[in-house]
Amino acid sequence: MSAKRLQLLGITLLAAAIVIPAFVDSRFILQMLTLIFFSIAMTSAWNIPVFGGKMSLGHAAFFGIGGYTGAILYVKFGVSPWIGLPAGVAVSLLGGVIMTLPLLRLRGPFFTLATIAFAEVLRMIAIDWRSLTNGSVGLNIPFKPGWANLTFQSGAPFYFISLILAIAVVFIAYRLRHSALGFHLRASASNDEAAQALGVDTRRAHFIGLLWSSGLTGLIGVFYVFFIYVVEPNTMFSTTLFSLQPALNGIIGGIGTIWGPVIGAVIMTPLGEYLRVYLGTIQQGLNFVVYGVVLIVTVNFIPGGIVSLVRLKSSNRSNGSGSPSGATEAH
Amino acid sequence: MPLLQVKNLTKRFGGLKAVNNVSFDIHSDEIVGLIGANGAGKTTLFNLISGILHPEGGDITLDGRPLNQLSPPRRSLAGLGRTFQIVRPFAMTVLENVMVPLLARDPHMGKAREEGMQVLALLRLEHLADTQPDSLTLAQRKRIEVARALATRPKLLMLDEVLAGLNPTEISENLPIIRQVHEQGVTIFIIEHLMDALMAVSQRVLVMDQGAIIASGTPQEVTSNECVIKAYLGEETPNC
Repeated sequence: MSAKRLQLLGITLLAAAIVIPAFVDSRFILQMLTLIFFSIAMTSAWNIPVFGGKMSLGHAAFFGIGGYTGAILYVKFGVSPWIGLPAGVAVSLLGGVIMTLPLLRLRGPFFTLATIAFAEVLRMIAIDWRSLTNGSVGLNIPFKPGWANLTFQSGAPFYFISLILAIAVVFIAYRLRHSALGFHLRASASNDEAAQALGVDTRRAHFIGLLWSSGLTGLIGVFYVFFIYVVEPNTMFSTTLFSLQPALNGIIGGIGTIWGPVIGAVIMTPLGEYLRVYLGTIQQGLNFVVYGVVLIVTVNFIPGGIVSLVRLKSSNRSNGSGSPSGATEAH
Repeated sequence: MPLLQVKNLTKRFGGLKAVNNVSFDIHSDEIVGLIGANGAGKTTLFNLISGILHPEGGDITLDGRPLNQLSPPRRSLAGLGRTFQIVRPFAMTVLENVMVPLLARDPHMGKAREEGMQVLALLRLEHLADTQPDSLTLAQRKRIEVARALATRPKLLMLDEVLAGLNPTEISENLPIIRQVHEQGVTIFIIEHLMDALMAVSQRVLVMDQGAIIASGTPQEVTSNECVIKAYLGEETPNC
């Protein structure tokens, strides 16, 4: 696909997304699209450190911290959600610093494993710190519709909020990838030793990448809580929902790219919901079996993710320069 | 004052002294060669100077500035450039590869692109700017390695076997590049297995054997040195 066609496709989809709520009044479809947009935002935010090869399976931590911060401030202290949003980002950033600093020395799978533990610990804290979090029951967002309370009667406002959120996070990820930080992360992912020898402080780059990622994930978490009206430890710090799912979306769409997470989220969110509703009722956990199969097939047959299938067509041209000099001397 | 000053540098791997009490100086504007058999400690010495390995003892100074406490990226920013024996370009275009070190110094994208093209032109790689390196020949990838290191604007550039593995045509293409880089005012410290090539470019040669520097001098002096000949023929060298 040429760049122009892709651009046209993007603009068409965006236009369609903007007018959909005017024509579709099925609550189910709006809700599904909203979930897809949340998922795009979540996966794209998760994907930022992956530019540098750092895959986290603990992003539920930042999602939960953000969500809990917004909910506690609003429910317990009557603080506006609009202040809860930056507060959620700030606390998630703090979480990002606490998680990242000790883990940065770890490479590859060891980093990934350590991140899992982080979200689990926070889930335990959310369950046990009853005076603040109301334990495993969680906190309900009172239904007082209005923009001031970030609570709405219809599905349309959150549809647009999540759409804007998705576009914003993808845009930020795009800008970061094409900035000095993005170059440093990508260089570190393919050859960390060489990047350092060229003057790149790769640990600092990973740190900043993870901060962007954790802050954005916290922001998404706050919005999400006001979308579902409740915070509760097993949802907000759910490893499957908010740690594994973004990773899964990313791997299937194409990790470390801009459009891979978008494609992955668009495909996997409805599929996940469908499987959960239909297969989950037959036998609990059966939906995850299908997930597993999809993942294994993707990793084995298209390791670059779905986005790599589109890429192939456009990158064939650049190999024209070839390697004649090696062949001539060998006679 | 010498540009690079190495004093009593020692590195052990278990019981093996890979670099044993090595001292030498490199002065501005020199091209200094480093030769020695496999396992003599040449690459280990490079790794110690560039900060990938930490010595058990000894001091390294660049332009009067002690390097021992600096991380590899800080040493690069201090003016120390190097290439790696095993070339593994970043998974991005040739131009983007060269932009990585430029962006570590100034995050301005347009400027990095422009200066990157200048470096590529110097190494006659500009026609490959938008190519992915994995489709290139070893000779071209080695040139990218040099281009990347040169883009750090080093005071001292350490080249680790940039000619090894190339055929004679490619060597005759890449050899002038070393001189050309030198003419840009960069001091060069070069490891090379190919004696002819090394002797052709070096003004001074250091010889390493079993972790120690056993000889130093002009290419002619070194090749006629008895210890060097013995070390290369693998004889016991009690007198050296």
